Amino acid sequence: MSNTGAMSNTGVMSNTGATSETAILKALGLKKNYGDLPVVKGVSLDLQPGEFVSLVGRSGSGKTTLLALLSGLERVDAGQVLLDGVDITTASEDALALLRRRSVGFIFQSFQLIPTLTAWENVALPLFPVKMPETERRERAEALLGQMGLGSRLEHLPGELSGGEKQRVAIARALVGRPKVIFADEPTGNLDVQTGQEIMDILRRLNTEDGIAILMVTHDLELSKSANRVLRMQDGEFLA
Amino acid sequence: MRLSYVFRELYLRRRRSLTAMLGLAVGIALLVVVNALSAAFGEAARAPLAEIGADLSIQRNGDVPQELAGAVFPCSAVTLRGDEVERVRQVPGITGVATGVLLWVFDADQFTIIMGLDPDNPLGPGRLRHFITQGRFLESGPEALLEVNYAQERHLTVGDNVSVAGKRYPVVGLVDASKAAKVAVAGVYLPLAEAQALALASPQVQSVSPFAPGDVNLLFLTADQRRVPGLAATLKGILGNKVSISTPESFLKQLGNLFALSDTFALAVSAIAIATAALLVLKTTAGNINERAREIGVLKCLGWTNADVIRQLLAETLIQCLLAGVLGLALAWLACLALSFLEVRIPIPWEMAPTPHFLPGGGEPVFKTLSLPMRLAPSLAAFALSLCVLIGGLTGGLLARRIARIKPSEVLRHE
Repeated sequence: MSNTGAMSNTGVMSNTGATSETAILKALGLKKNYGDLPVVKGVSLDLQPGEFVSLVGRSGSGKTTLLALLSGLERVDAGQVLLDGVDITTASEDALALLRRRSVGFIFQSFQLIPTLTAWENVALPLFPVKMPETERRERAEALLGQMGLGSRLEHLPGELSGGEKQRVAIARALVGRPKVIFADEPTGNLDVQTGQEIMDILRRLNTEDGIAILMVTHDLELSKSANRVLRMQDGEFLA
Repeated sequence: MRLSYVFRELYLRRRRSLTAMLGLAVGIALLVVVNALSAAFGEAARAPLAEIGADLSIQRNGDVPQELAGAVFPCSAVTLRGDEVERVRQVPGITGVATGVLLWVFDADQFTIIMGLDPDNPLGPGRLRHFITQGRFLESGPEALLEVNYAQERHLTVGDNVSVAGKRYPVVGLVDASKAAKVAVAGVYLPLAEAQALALASPQVQSVSPFAPGDVNLLFLTADQRRVPGLAATLKGILGNKVSISTPESFLKQLGNLFALSDTFALAVSAIAIATAALLVLKTTAGNINERAREIGVLKCLGWTNADVIRQLLAETLIQCLLAGVLGLALAWLACLALSFLEVRIPIPWEMAPTPHFLPGGGEPVFKTLSLPMRLAPSLAAFALSLCVLIGGLTGGLLARRIARIKPSEVLRHE
């Protein structure tokens, strides 16, 4: 693992023992300013396949911005990010969209479900632009919702679901494209403790059983302990 | 693009969707109704001539006879020479010619308007054959057809004789001219040759306007519709400036209606209505996009490309505009239905239905009254719907850049 060092040709060791060459996500010297305010100050890190990394820090420490930079949701001012072998700092918007469709899943604090679509349609949302039979879309969404214990909620709108159910729909949606890495931004932030634990159990299971790499942003130190490693952020930098 | 998503989004934002749809629907309805009105007045203006199977009618103005005795020509219809008629027949664009002779006959005990017509020509006054109420239509030879009111006033019927200018004609039929045009209405209809003979023998006619065998004083023309507006000038070139040429356009001017006066007016009202509606659609769609920045961010996070997002929103706009078009057409249809109950009174110039001013009822204005022929033409409906699709497409196209500028990180800003 590296959270401060430079990315070398020979690779940087992670705490899982893998080199940066096998990393699903590699970032080097990332910088981002909003106006004159530096928000991310030269951050580097690797995320190995099957690794679960927590990014913790206080509000305003730059962790959500870093997640946006690492996932290609925001452009970096300086530095480089390789995601699933693609340099996302130079990739076009369309290339980034296709990369996100193919390799990345997102889970948000506020679930970000489309209120007019049913549970299964929300799950299938990333597949709508993909040419495939409607039955296949639905089958994949149904299977994932079944795994999330929501087999009886397929036709329910988000407004008819509890917070925990919404987040499980969001997790199913993140999985429908069979991603290699999931970016989770405060996934339990809007849930009660027990429901939050259930969601964390699901994320751990996805990580350990399905080998999906997870980068989770949280301000909750307790939750961060679920991860293989924890990166602490303060004022746009990792703490040693 | 997913239709269930499209319709549910339109329903979710139904207030905004309805505002845009109603605005466009009213604009479309206005466009269709204004153009249908314009077309209806145009069609109404064609009615007086169309009912006698003509697109143009020609008369020549002359002098008032010195003495009103025997057969005379009304001053609005003096001689059109046979050779002039032949030259008119050769004018490119003229597809049919019918002639007539209109006479005022002042007998000692009565006044009669006589119309001489060619019984074998289906155009012009020959159309009266469709309005026979009793007996038969004219054939050749000395015989008369009476207008029903004229016959009632004089207690004449089929089989009787009518005396005109000292000559007796057997009555072979009665015709209800009120059901036909108000143009060149007469009391007694004779075969053209008989009327020409009366004119030839009349010193009053000859003194005002020399009349030779083969001459007439009324001309009814059918023409290629596209060339009708330009024919008047050509015909005046042949017949001189004293002729008055009646066309649908001249009747339209008689109507004096705003819609009848100007296609430009209809075009201007339509353009303003549609431009306003299009701006409303643009504004509401732009508002919709601003409101849905987070949702668009979510879609982009989930791997939707700009094109995917634009396709989805374009489908919403197109369907919204198409529904607005259908609603607008429904409104327009209702408006056309309501307006079709209106009656339009087309003034017939005295010159075209001349009666002596000194007689009871003479010189009074004559009107052709008909229901406003409002029609929702399929071509107009298709144009309106196409316009809706175009507005939807242009709106989507104009907003594509705005959609492209929305970053996927927008979703994190709303966290």
